[in-house]
Amino acid sequence: MKALELNNVRFKYRDFQNWALDSVSLEVEKGEFVTILGCNGSGKSTLCLLTNGLIPHAIQGNLQGSVSVFGNNVGEQPVSQSATKVGIVFQEPESQLFCMSVEEEVAFGPENLAVPREEIKTRVEWALELVGMKGYNNRSPFSLSGGQKQRVAIAAALSMRPEMLVLDEPAYALDPVGRLGLYSVLRDLKEKHGMTVILAERDAEEALAFSDRFVLMKDGKLLESGPPRQVLRDPAKLREIGVAPPQVTEVASLLNTRMGTSKFSFLTVEEAERAILEEVLKPKKEGRR
Amino acid sequence: MGGFIDLYTEADTFLHRMDPRVKIVAVLLLSLLAFILSHLYLLLALLTFIFLLLFLARATISRTAFALKFVLRFMVLIIILWPIFDPTGTPVLASLGPIKITEPAVWRGVTSAARVGCLATVWYILMFTTSQRDLVRALVKMGVRFDFGLTLAISLRFLPTFGALIDSIKDAQRARGLELSKGGLLKRSKNYVAVLVPTIVSALRTADTLSLALQSRAYGARADRTYLRDLNMRPSDYVALAVLAAILVLPAFAKFVMQVDI
Amino acid sequence: MIPSAHGIPREEKIISTRNLKFTYEGGVQALQGLNLDIRSGDYVAIVGGNGSGKTTLAKALNGLLKPTSGTVMVNGMPTSELKVAEIAKVVGYAFQNPDHQLFCSSVEDEVRFGPLNLGYPEQEVRQKVERAIEAMNLGQLRALAPLSLRLGERRRVSIASVIAMDPQVLILDEPTTGLDAGESLELMNSLKRLNAEGKTIILITHDMKVVAEHARRVIVMANGRMILDSDSRGVFSDLAILGESNLEPPPVVRLAHRLAKHGIPHDVMSVEELVFQLLRSRGGG
Ligand SMILES: Nc1ncnc2c1ncn2[C@@H]1O[C@H](COP(=O)(O)OP(=O)(O)OP(=O)(O)O)[C@@H](O)[C@H]1O
Ligand SMILES: Nc1ncnc2c1ncn2[C@@H]1O[C@H](COP(=O)(O)OP(=O)(O)OP(=O)(O)O)[C@@H](O)[C@H]1O
Ligand SMILES: [Mg+2]
Ligand SMILES: [Mg+2]
Repeated sequence: MKALELNNVRFKYRDFQNWALDSVSLEVEKGEFVTILGCNGSGKSTLCLLTNGLIPHAIQGNLQGSVSVFGNNVGEQPVSQSATKVGIVFQEPESQLFCMSVEEEVAFGPENLAVPREEIKTRVEWALELVGMKGYNNRSPFSLSGGQKQRVAIAAALSMRPEMLVLDEPAYALDPVGRLGLYSVLRDLKEKHGMTVILAERDAEEALAFSDRFVLMKDGKLLESGPPRQVLRDPAKLREIGVAPPQVTEVASLLNTRMGTSKFSFLTVEEAERAILEEVLKPKKEGRR
Repeated sequence: MGGFIDLYTEADTFLHRMDPRVKIVAVLLLSLLAFILSHLYLLLALLTFIFLLLFLARATISRTAFALKFVLRFMVLIIILWPIFDPTGTPVLASLGPIKITEPAVWRGVTSAARVGCLATVWYILMFTTSQRDLVRALVKMGVRFDFGLTLAISLRFLPTFGALIDSIKDAQRARGLELSKGGLLKRSKNYVAVLVPTIVSALRTADTLSLALQSRAYGARADRTYLRDLNMRPSDYVALAVLAAILVLPAFAKFVMQVDI
Repeated sequence: MIPSAHGIPREEKIISTRNLKFTYEGGVQALQGLNLDIRSGDYVAIVGGNGSGKTTLAKALNGLLKPTSGTVMVNGMPTSELKVAEIAKVVGYAFQNPDHQLFCSSVEDEVRFGPLNLGYPEQEVRQKVERAIEAMNLGQLRALAPLSLRLGERRRVSIASVIAMDPQVLILDEPTTGLDAGESLELMNSLKRLNAEGKTIILITHDMKVVAEHARRVIVMANGRMILDSDSRGVFSDLAILGESNLEPPPVVRLAHRLAKHGIPHDVMSVEELVFQLLRSRGGG
C-alpha cells in the first residue's frame, strides 16, 4: 500500500480559469522523504491541501482524479478522519497556532479524537521532546520565535500520531538559526522515526541532505521526479523553472563546462571539497613534482 | 499591548490556586451583593473586604496602579456628575441656574461610586488571578459549549497579535507620509481607510489559514471530546464557596424575605 | 570614498547616528549605542539573526521610532525634530510585509498615495509615479488591484509606492522573503539599477547569498549592537564573526574556506570567482 497516491489529479479553484494542478500523478512510498520543488504559483500548496482532503472538503473547486492516503480515498472521508493519517504544517507560523499555551496547542488534536487524558499527556511530552520544545508547555505560542512556533506546529501534528507529515514551506520567514532547528527536526523524523514526509520548498539547498526524492513542479504540472542527484544534474534546468539550485551544483556544472568534462556532480560542500581536491587541485601538485 | 489585555499575573496565592469555577461563581455572587446593598456603610465594608482580597492576591501597587487609577477616576467622575444630573431631594446644597445640588443626591453619588468600585475591583481580581485558559476551561466545564469556549479563547489569543498588526500597519503607512491625525473629520476618516483595509485583509487571511489548521487537527471529529486539563474542586474550594454563600445569604435573606432596607 | 557614476566623490553623509539607543516600552533594549554613517550612493546590507535589532534600526533611521538616547541625523537634521512625513522624503522604508501597506483599488493609485501625502504638485506626482512604476516593472499591472496580485508582484508594488516618494535612501526590510529565485533575481536587478542611478540602498536580510552577490558594505548586528561594519569581502573572509551572529555563509564561501590551504583566497564570494580561482590554481597560478 502506498503512503500517498495521486491518480491523474486536476484541480481548479472556484471562479478561476487555470488548472492549479494539471494531470498530476504521484506515488509516495511509506517511509519516503519527498521534497516538492517549484516556484511561486507552481501548485505546491494545492498539492499539500489535497493530501488530507482540505481540498475538496474545505476549499471548493473542480477536482478530478483521485487522491488516496494509505489506501483511503481522502475525498470520500471527512478531513477529521484523514487528519489521523496525515499531519499538515502550513507556512505562516502566526496563523496556525490558536491556543493560549503550547501544551493545549499540542493536545488539541488528540483531544478532538477523544484520546484518554493520560495518553494525551504522554503524547504531548513525546511530541514536544521530539521537536526540541520540552519544558515550553505553559508558554503562550504568541511569545515564541518564528522557528519555535513552527516546531510547535509540527508537534501539534505529530501528537495525532499520523503516518505521514506534509509541510508547506515551513521555513518561510525563518532566520538561519530557525531553519537549522527546523530541518534538524525533519531529519530526526526521517532517520529516527521513519516518518513519511512530503516537504514543499522553493529552494533546493536545505532539503538536499535528507530527501530521498525531488519532485519538480511548474504551472501545476509535475515535470520530473527522481533522486536529488539525478534531478540536480543540470542546474540550468532548475533555474529555468524558477528554483534556485544548490550553489555547489552550479560550481560542478561550471567546472564541467570549463574543463570540458562531465565528471563533477557533487551536491554538498563536503563532496565538493573531496572531488575538487581529487580532480582539480591534486593533478596540479603531481604535475609539479 | 499584551499586558493591557491580559491582566493575569502569575503568583502562588490561595486566590490563584482557587478553582476558576469557584472564582467565577464568587465574582457573580459578590457583584450581586453589591447590587443588593444600598447603604453606603455596608458597601464600604464590602469594598474594604474586596480590597483585602486584592491585597491577598499579592496585587502590589505597581502592578495594579494602572487598573486602580482607571477605577478611581471613574468613581470620582460618578461622585461629581451624579449630583449634577440628579436634582431630587432636599435640602438643596447649592444651585446654579437649572442645576441643583441636593444632599441626598450627593450621598447617592458616593454610594454608586462605592458600588462601581466593588464591581470593578472584584472582576479585576478574577482577571488578575486567573489565566485566560483557565477561565475558558472553567466556562466550558460549567456547561458553555466547547465551540463558544474555543471562539472566546481564539479571540483572546489573537488580541495581542492584532494589536501588533495594527501598530505595524500604522507605521507602514506613516512611512508613506500618512499623517493620521491631520486634517478635518472627513480627511481623517479617509486616512483610516489606509489602516483599516490592510488590517481587514490580513485578518481575513489569518482567519482562512486558521480554519484550515483547525480542521487539519481533527476539529469536530467526535462529540465525546476529551480534555488534557481537568479542573478538580479541592476541599479549600468548597470552604471558599461556603464562606461566600454565608456572606451572601444573610443580606439576601434580610432584603428579600424580611424586607429590611439594607 | 566611492566614486559615483558621474565622477563626483560621494562622501556626503545622508544619515548618521551617534550613540543611538532605543528601548521599547516593555524594557527591551533593542539598540544599544550605534555609530553609523550612511553615505550617498552606498549599497549596505544589514544582516543579523531574528531579534538582533535590524527592524528597530530601520525604523529609527526613518523616524518612526525616536531615539531613547543619542541622535539620528538625516541630512544634518536630528530625526527627533522632524515629522515622519518629512523624513519620508529623504529616507523611504519598504516594510517586510507588503500587505501591511496595500489598500488601494489599483496599482497606480497605490503608488500615488505616498507622493500625494507629501504634497508634491500634480505634475511632479505624475512624473514620480511613472518613474517608480517603470523602476519596478509594473507597467502591465498598473490598472489591477494590488490585492489580487501574487506576493512577488505585491512586494514590487509596495517598493514602488516608496520609490515614488523619491527618497535619497531606500530601506528594504527582507524584500526577498517569500519570493522564488526568478522573482528575487528580478527584484535585486531593479535595486542594482536604482543604486547605479544614485539611490542609496539599505537592504535588511537573512539571505547571505543575496548579500554576497549585491551589497558593497555589510553591517552585522547582534543583540542590538553592530559587531561588524566592513566591505562585503571583509565579512566573508571572516567566518567566525558570521558564526557569532548565527548567520550561515553561502556554500561557495564555505567551500572556498575549506580549500584555503590549497591556495584558494579567503574572499571568494561567487560561483564564477571560485571556479576561476580553482582553474587558476590548477594551471599553476
Ligand atoms: N485560494 C486560491 N484561490 C484561487 N486560486 C488559487 C488559490 N490558491 C492558489 N491559487 C492558484 O493556484 C495556482 C497554484 O498555486 P499554489 O498556491 O498551489 O502554488 P505554490 O507552488 O504553493 O506557490 P507559492 O510558492 O506561492 O506558495 C496558482 O496559479 C495560484 O494563483
Ligand atoms: N513593538 C515592540 N515592543 C517591544 N519589543 C519589541 C518590539 N519590536 C521588537 N521588539 C524587540 O526588540 C528586539 C529587536 O527586534 P527587531 O524587530 O528590531 O529585530 P530584527 O533584527 O528585525 O528581527 P527579525 O529578523 O525577526 O525581523 C527584539 O528583542 C524584539 O523582541
Ligand atoms: Mg504555497
Ligand atoms: Mg525585522
